Amino acid sequence: MIRRFVLKRLLTGALQMLGLTLAVFFLVRMLPADPVSRLVGLNASPEAYKQAQRSLGLDEPVMTQLLNYLGIGSDSGLLQGDLDVSWVTNAPVLAEIGASLPITLELLTYSFAVTLLFAVPVGVASAANPGKAVDKFVFFYGLFGGSQPEFWWGLLFVLIFFANLGIAPAPLGMISPLLQAPPRVTGFYTLDALIAGDFRAFFDILHHLMLPVLTMVFVLSGPVIKMVRQSMIRAQASDFVLYANAAGLRRKTVTRYAMRAAIAPTITLVGILYGVMLGGAVLVESVFSLGGIGQYAVRSVLAFDYPSIQGIVLVITAISLLIYLLLDILYAIIDPRVVYT
Amino acid sequence: MSLLDTSPAGAAPLPRKERRTASALLIFAIIFAGGSLILACFGEMIVPFDPVDSAFIPNMPPPPLRDWPGLLWVAITSTSPEPIHWFGTDSSGFDVFSRVLCAPRIDLTIALAANFLAMLIGIPFGLVAGYFTNPATEFMMRVSDVIQSFPVFISAMILVALGGQSAINVIMALSLLYAPIYVRLTRSEAMAQKSRGMVEASRAIGQSELRIALQHVLPNSIGPSLVQSSVTIGFAILLTAGLSFVGAGVRPPDPEWGLMISTGANDIVLGQWWTSVFPGVAISLTVFSFAVIGDALQRRYDR
Amino acid sequence: MRAFMFPPNLRQTLARTGSAIALTAGAILSTVSPTAAAEGDTLLFLAEDVPSGLDIDGPSIAIPTTQLGMVQLLEPLIAYEYFDEPNEDGVLMPDFTKPVGRLLESWDYDPETLVWTLHLRKGVLSCAGNEFTADDMMYTYARALNVGSAVPNAWFLLNMSGVKGFTQEVFSPDEDVAKEARILGDGIRKIDDYTIEVEQVEANPLLLVNMAVTISQGVLDSKVMEENATEDDPWAYDYANNVNLPSFGPYCLESWTKNDEIRFKANPNYYRGVAPIETAIIKKVPQGGNRISILRSGQAQLIQGMTPNQYDSLRKMPGIKVSGVTGNEGLFGVMNFATPPFDNIKLRQAIAYAMPYERIINVGYSGQAKQWESVIPETYPGYTPYEPGYSYDPEKAKELLAEAGYPNGEGLEEFAEQFKLTYVAEKETTLGPVVNQIRTALNEIGIPVTLDPIPQTQYGDRQIVKKDLAFGLNDQEKPIGVDAGYAMQLFFVSAEAGGLNNMMNYKNPELDEQWSVARVEGDMDKREEILSDMQTTLMEDVAWLPIVTFKTQWAHSDKLSGLSWNPSNSLLLYDLHY
Repeated sequence: MIRRFVLKRLLTGALQMLGLTLAVFFLVRMLPADPVSRLVGLNASPEAYKQAQRSLGLDEPVMTQLLNYLGIGSDSGLLQGDLDVSWVTNAPVLAEIGASLPITLELLTYSFAVTLLFAVPVGVASAANPGKAVDKFVFFYGLFGGSQPEFWWGLLFVLIFFANLGIAPAPLGMISPLLQAPPRVTGFYTLDALIAGDFRAFFDILHHLMLPVLTMVFVLSGPVIKMVRQSMIRAQASDFVLYANAAGLRRKTVTRYAMRAAIAPTITLVGILYGVMLGGAVLVESVFSLGGIGQYAVRSVLAFDYPSIQGIVLVITAISLLIYLLLDILYAIIDPRVVYT
Repeated sequence: MSLLDTSPAGAAPLPRKERRTASALLIFAIIFAGGSLILACFGEMIVPFDPVDSAFIPNMPPPPLRDWPGLLWVAITSTSPEPIHWFGTDSSGFDVFSRVLCAPRIDLTIALAANFLAMLIGIPFGLVAGYFTNPATEFMMRVSDVIQSFPVFISAMILVALGGQSAINVIMALSLLYAPIYVRLTRSEAMAQKSRGMVEASRAIGQSELRIALQHVLPNSIGPSLVQSSVTIGFAILLTAGLSFVGAGVRPPDPEWGLMISTGANDIVLGQWWTSVFPGVAISLTVFSFAVIGDALQRRYDR
Repeated sequence: MRAFMFPPNLRQTLARTGSAIALTAGAILSTVSPTAAAEGDTLLFLAEDVPSGLDIDGPSIAIPTTQLGMVQLLEPLIAYEYFDEPNEDGVLMPDFTKPVGRLLESWDYDPETLVWTLHLRKGVLSCAGNEFTADDMMYTYARALNVGSAVPNAWFLLNMSGVKGFTQEVFSPDEDVAKEARILGDGIRKIDDYTIEVEQVEANPLLLVNMAVTISQGVLDSKVMEENATEDDPWAYDYANNVNLPSFGPYCLESWTKNDEIRFKANPNYYRGVAPIETAIIKKVPQGGNRISILRSGQAQLIQGMTPNQYDSLRKMPGIKVSGVTGNEGLFGVMNFATPPFDNIKLRQAIAYAMPYERIINVGYSGQAKQWESVIPETYPGYTPYEPGYSYDPEKAKELLAEAGYPNGEGLEEFAEQFKLTYVAEKETTLGPVVNQIRTALNEIGIPVTLDPIPQTQYGDRQIVKKDLAFGLNDQEKPIGVDAGYAMQLFFVSAEAGGLNNMMNYKNPELDEQWSVARVEGDMDKREEILSDMQTTLMEDVAWLPIVTFKTQWAHSDKLSGLSWNPSNSLLLYDLHY
């Protein structure tokens, strides 16, 4: 049964991706200019523009361009797993995404890990002590953290922790430029450093991730902490906790039961946030020049680099859909009723 | 950040002690949000300088805090007070104070208009999709899903780039991206309403389906959307500012908070903190206020 | 998903750069701490971006940060001698009247036959250790003529210099004609391993000027290029765009990650001596404020791309020096002759008199600029300042406005669309203060100017391809060929007369006529006289509205010295030392 459910979801996902591909393809072609002039610059002749246009395939009819992009009737296209070549760098879009995406994933993974480490105990404590200081703090912070301009806080953190206190490194990306980045295996800097056994690079990378992660945690903790608290309160008010209390189980045990029930909605929220932040971490990335996929997206949109824009949107959406699917499967396992409705 | 708001968990009732904190906070929020709305309407009449007049000495720091009481006293009592740059001036020679106060005209207008448009699109669609279940509405939901699966920030950038940087285009982009939220909310509520006795009864006395949908289902399904809107307005302000920050939002020299932070950002390290700190505080508190109001509405609605 | 993240082609590139990094990583990490390295023979240079490609005909050639990478790797044929005395900031300045051979030992010109004989320098070794010979030059010329990459820049300069065989026919829609035209004929001949002859179709002094343009006339190491050619890509465009630019320059590429950083190692074989700074890293730090923080922390030694206001603050900081050059960068207004009301000369002049030059210099450039009094860069030979010149004179502007038929700006309301002052949005931090001064000043005399920043890409498209920018502001066009004639052909001569980028649709038959004479004028004095006349005409017509010429600046550790300037505005790291 669950297999059928997954299959159905995958099929819907594929259709959704197709719709998205078409939408983005035509959307970028409505941009008010094509990038040819930017490539060629002013010290060149009209022939150069024509040449550049030809080399980008922009002289072809739109439908031909679409078929080429999809890989129908040509030997390299989307269907063959080829996302075309960036018009600005001339490098394969897939390679550029392969270089920038792991950075964003790494930032997000650490940020969410720290967020959970912070938010779960605090949220639980708040639910257990209604009206106490910790609860007041959670109530306030749950609303405050979630409604902050993260780029502004990032700038402030740089000012405070780097420029004034000097305890954070310069916002120079993932690793000090004077150190060699560990040889790439996975694309995740910390993992690669560990694989290479290069602990100096490893700690330097962690040091560089400090402020970006702090900024992310600062804004992400708000909604997560609020969710933990609410789920806990709801779980504590539920019949099984009432029963457990009535049965005289120890308070610790009851809290553990309640936590188990409260963790599901929290995980869902974190999953959704993770998907959203793939494209939404862009502001933090650009404040700390991390070179993640968000920054790559900004660069591509401002340069009207059609293939890159298309590729980025497709990859980010595909990953988000995958995360949602995983969440649904998780839910289906926990609560089989989902499958049948 | 804008998907956060698609998953509002039913807010739990607050214990009594906390209610006091909450209501104090709510009063602050209402005053602050109300104030920003007033500024959005009349900001330009109140401020001491034209927010786009670049005639002043650039990069002037604000007067030190300890001088403020004295300066304020003079400003109030003197008949022809010397105009003061309370928040200093920026690199173009604009008065930061006037710009911070005039910015709600742009930020709030964009957020409110985008939100209103999104509701205008989303609620009817959601109503139809929830009330009538057929292949057409099913297709509509899929389209809405596709839109919702776009990465919001990047899509907003693309959409604004399509029409060129302007407030109108930011409004259009945001409303398109936020509409699916209202489609979903209204749809699920309409589906719930459909099976209620009132609808059955109306059908029994021979009312047309459209009339039932408009008269009975719509008023009862609109609530969650209204609650949601306060939160969405806040996020729309953040998104607008974020877009300007990366250079893809409204165009300078319009006074807009994100734009001001962006122009000031590079000078913070040179000690010129005032150009970006003040607008940042303004965004921070405004969006927070809307979040607090949204939370309170949610609580009330759930009760 | 795995296929998405680790595609085979990516794995290859990674393996290539990865192994290079692995080899050096251990050595650097074990011996040098970051701060120690900074003091020694390492330079960390922070820029807005790193090269997006390195092919001289590649799609990113027009981007300054791409050129910054190229000039470190490429060796030019000709350069200019430096003046003995550096400028007021201690920057070495080229003397454009004294070309000096680099890859060329010397050259002769026979005006009768229009043949240039180029004598190649012997004993020059590339990064790969290959000796520089006539084959490398022939390869480079043949590749230029092939125009197979995105931007045929190398061809363009040779075409402009009238080299035989470099015709428009290479772009012929007729495949056969184009194919034929792309084969290097007898216009360029190899005489022996160290001698080449270049024949022109007409006398054209631009050839010498253009040979000094490193970024498009630098010579490639043909052996390495051929090793990396493939069947699909016989001219190794992909290699040059994505992997390396093999040449004979002062630095060799050590590693390169697009959008992140590029590392250079001094070329041990360099014929002018190994560079004093052994390892140079250019790192992308897009936020200007971050570049400043890092420079101040001492982790980086050199930054570029700041606003004049920021340079001004940096100047006052301990341990930091700001060096600048009034070289070839200028700010000018573009008013489109094809768009009323800008076809009205009186209105154009009114605007010229309404420009608040002083205030722009002070607010926009912190004083590091001066009024620009011609349409060609001040440092270029033949620059002629306009007499009597425009100055900020609102009364005169009002008079001219009335004469133009718009007293106090009445009647201009209907041109709201045309009076949108368009500029590049990405330059907001620099141009913002300037455009606001202009807007305020023009509004004061009744000209309804509003602001319209648009993305660089769109600006370029409207300026170059559509040519429909009504009222624009531009601070990034500089002629890369150091010649007044080159500059004016590029920007002001009409398309029919061989003009190339006449962005404001300016058409003046007289000027076209003058250029047709000057272009082939062998007598340099006579040529200069015509070029001087042309400048005066252009200033009278306000063909451009030159506003200020401003300093190109860098901020750096005060321990770093030896900065030099060249017309590409890309610092030559070779000249730097601690």
